[in-house]
Amino acid sequence: MTDTSHHQTDSHTGANGDGSTEEFVQQWRNAAYNCFSSGHKFCREVCPVMQVTRNESWTPTAFHANVVAMEKGELEIADIAEDYVNCTGCGACELRCPNTLFTGDFYRFRTRTVDMVKAVRALAVDNDVHQPGWQRWNLLTDERTHEPVLGDTPVSQEHVRDWSAGLDIPIGGETIMFVDCEAAFYRTSVPRAVAQILQLAGYEFGLMNEQWCCGGPAAEMGYLDQSKRFARHNLDDWRANGVKWVLVLDPHDYITFTEDYPKYFGEEYQDIEIVLVVELFAELIREGKLTPSIPIERTITYHDPCRLNKRKGVWREPREILSAIPGLVFNDVDRVTQWSYCSGGGGGLPIEKPELTAKISESRVDKAAELGVDTLVSACPWSERPLTEAGEARSIDVVDIHEILAESLGIEVGGRRGE
Amino acid sequence: MTVAPELAEPVLEELRQVLGSEHVLTSKPARYNRARVPAPFPVHRWAERVPDLVVLPGSTAEVSEVVRIANANRIPIVPRDGGTGLTDGAVPVRRGIVVDVKRMNQIKEIDEVNRTCTVGAGISMLKLNEVLARYGLIYPDDPASYPCSLVGGRIGTSGWSLIGSRYGHSRDLVLSFDFVLPTGRVIHIGDGAGRKLSKSSSGYQLKHLFMGHQGTLGIATEATLKLFPKPEAELSPFFAFDNYDDAYRCVGELARAGVATFAGAVLFDEWKVNYLRRDDEAYIPQPTDVRALVCAVAYGYEDEVIAGGKRFMRIARDNGARYLGDEISEGDWAARHDRYATPLHGRTNAGQVVPMSWHCEDAAINYSNLPQVRLEWHEIIRKLREKFDMFDDWGMFTYTSANTGLDYLTEIDVGIWEQELDDASWAAWVDAKRDIAEVALRNGGSISACHGSCREGEVDLVPQELGGGYDVMLDVKRAIDPNNIMNPGKYGLDRAYESAEG
Repeated sequence: MTDTSHHQTDSHTGANGDGSTEEFVQQWRNAAYNCFSSGHKFCREVCPVMQVTRNESWTPTAFHANVVAMEKGELEIADIAEDYVNCTGCGACELRCPNTLFTGDFYRFRTRTVDMVKAVRALAVDNDVHQPGWQRWNLLTDERTHEPVLGDTPVSQEHVRDWSAGLDIPIGGETIMFVDCEAAFYRTSVPRAVAQILQLAGYEFGLMNEQWCCGGPAAEMGYLDQSKRFARHNLDDWRANGVKWVLVLDPHDYITFTEDYPKYFGEEYQDIEIVLVVELFAELIREGKLTPSIPIERTITYHDPCRLNKRKGVWREPREILSAIPGLVFNDVDRVTQWSYCSGGGGGLPIEKPELTAKISESRVDKAAELGVDTLVSACPWSERPLTEAGEARSIDVVDIHEILAESLGIEVGGRRGE
Repeated sequence: MTVAPELAEPVLEELRQVLGSEHVLTSKPARYNRARVPAPFPVHRWAERVPDLVVLPGSTAEVSEVVRIANANRIPIVPRDGGTGLTDGAVPVRRGIVVDVKRMNQIKEIDEVNRTCTVGAGISMLKLNEVLARYGLIYPDDPASYPCSLVGGRIGTSGWSLIGSRYGHSRDLVLSFDFVLPTGRVIHIGDGAGRKLSKSSSGYQLKHLFMGHQGTLGIATEATLKLFPKPEAELSPFFAFDNYDDAYRCVGELARAGVATFAGAVLFDEWKVNYLRRDDEAYIPQPTDVRALVCAVAYGYEDEVIAGGKRFMRIARDNGARYLGDEISEGDWAARHDRYATPLHGRTNAGQVVPMSWHCEDAAINYSNLPQVRLEWHEIIRKLREKFDMFDDWGMFTYTSANTGLDYLTEIDVGIWEQELDDASWAAWVDAKRDIAEVALRNGGSISACHGSCREGEVDLVPQELGGGYDVMLDVKRAIDPNNIMNPGKYGLDRAYESAEG
């Protein structure tokens, strides 16, 4: 007898550690059957990968059906692992799923495709089934304690704070600012903007003594042990410095710190508060502590980062900030329409399938171009590299929301917007 | 990978030459993923329906080449569009090559003057309407699978939709299409020499023949569709009744009223209301004396919708209805139509909640036969449920399927705990489907109003429904598909070849 109330699943137990397919299937079989039995496939046309590939093997329904086939002994992890590369972890499918929409409130069940995809990737790694790009990426990350976001140019611990040159930010303190690898090494204008806005608002904060990659990307690609090691290092660093608040500018970090770390550490982690700076800045504007006053003469639209909008329900605050900036013409597209938008920059997709990321970004920028804008504003550093590349062909400038806010506050941001 | 001998090299190589190797899929998951449609089937028999190969063509010319190669080598072809059908049209029953047309989803032309668009068969109506909205236009074909079904599948099924009762169903809305015959030859089907006519009395009217064949006659690749102005106003009043008979009388009068903006009415019987009350979190609670519901829907300009709406209100009131109010009506319509809410779980006889797939058995039934069919259908499911605990009666909807109220799409929704289907319960389900079809025919109806009728059970009765027409069907099949490569094993059409062999 099956009870839907038992369908709660946890991707971070079962699939990882011993690599047991049986245990994995046991963990996910009911969620998989819920999808398999429904057969509605409402998720299909909102999936960014599906939209550009039209390949039914790379859809949330296929990802669930494969688990049923594994249970029946028809498929093995080695058969399916490669297909699971084709997911950006955007979460659109979960929102559009009839099982989330129709039964969610009643049974406290929701479809969790993103976690399931992560669990399959972890199962693959546990069974020594590797994707070459991901394996190399995580090896380099392990060696350098940061993701190799600059390609052949090495990243390292000595340079992780280079972005803050001249800003006079202390090390340590109860509140620290965590900067993701992409922003710290590639788009340094983003953390510079954030830090200077915080300073302008009189907000006290420091940097970590020794910041490592958050570990989230490793978990997304299936390298869970590595992810946990990195997380442990960061938590120990916070503990050693008495950290209580962690300021986060990157939506991917925000997911890692609010979803992965609590699973890794449980109670040990409960008194650390994670603060999303885009929410903090909206609050400071609301309270009159920040007043953007320099007009920015741009016609913009806003890209809802998937991990904020679709996975965390954060969409109001970025719009509050943009609406407070004088001079902007803001051609907004509502958050629900944007369920089917994505930059293609998440879930490790650009590492294994850069051509798909490029197509997804082109499709996103095309939608912006239809609005007659000159600027696409995002709030996610990982989206900004592929969107910028796609924007060049359309003469659309891609700007981070913190950069544009800083500019309107009269801050000379400095740093680089990529290479 | 195991492929049928005829699919070994060099046929594979030939297909790769035509399509590019990335569009010829041989992996096990790629094939397993295209063996499935929403219609229930015992999971333990999944492997029986797995094709040998999947191809993803990008053009009519590529589809034509694939079919030509298959025909030359006598390899079965199964066209697959959205894979959302309820009659197994896209399910391979003889392995072979699945031709998945989803890549063909381009919008080739939007003709604002003649109000048509030309699209690849792999586009979904939802995605098409997102683009058409910019022109103030809609393509009003909106089946329950609207967010994911594709135009080509609608042609293969000759589908029906609720809003279609206002504007026309697939057979009216699809003006013409490019079609790949089982020999690989490409023809254009439709009225006139161009693509955009809706009327002609020149020659045989082939369009209907090449719609609704469930992929047994060929593959639609590109279609020209009829467009309408996006309606300014929608009205969807919900009316409550304390008994079925009043609701039935009311829906009939609404449908016969001749209101120009009328897009259809839906009648929910007491089993349906009970089910929603019991298990659907989207159901807006009503007093327990509510035993049947009617919803009437209108689209058009605001002034004409208001005028028609007043007439609906009067008719409903005269038939003992209680109007549920604007807020509940809009909410219920959003849940029942826009979201097609159904709880996707049901109950065992003991009341235990279990995950179930939603399956609807549909038929076309004249208004006057609806009450009788309804009682007999519920009785069939009651008996089935007595013997097997993996079925649940989720009640019935009936929808007007013409604006005169002539006949109705009638469906009984059956929850099926697919995970638990074994051979005995599957056999009982197949028998029940045959019984359901038999009731429809005995009452002068059609086995299916819009899903098709080629699954086990019901398919046995298709010759009975079509009579001498079924013999013509066999002749047509043999003439158009001499080697029986196009979706073989469906609709009992194999017998066309048995008789040819004597």
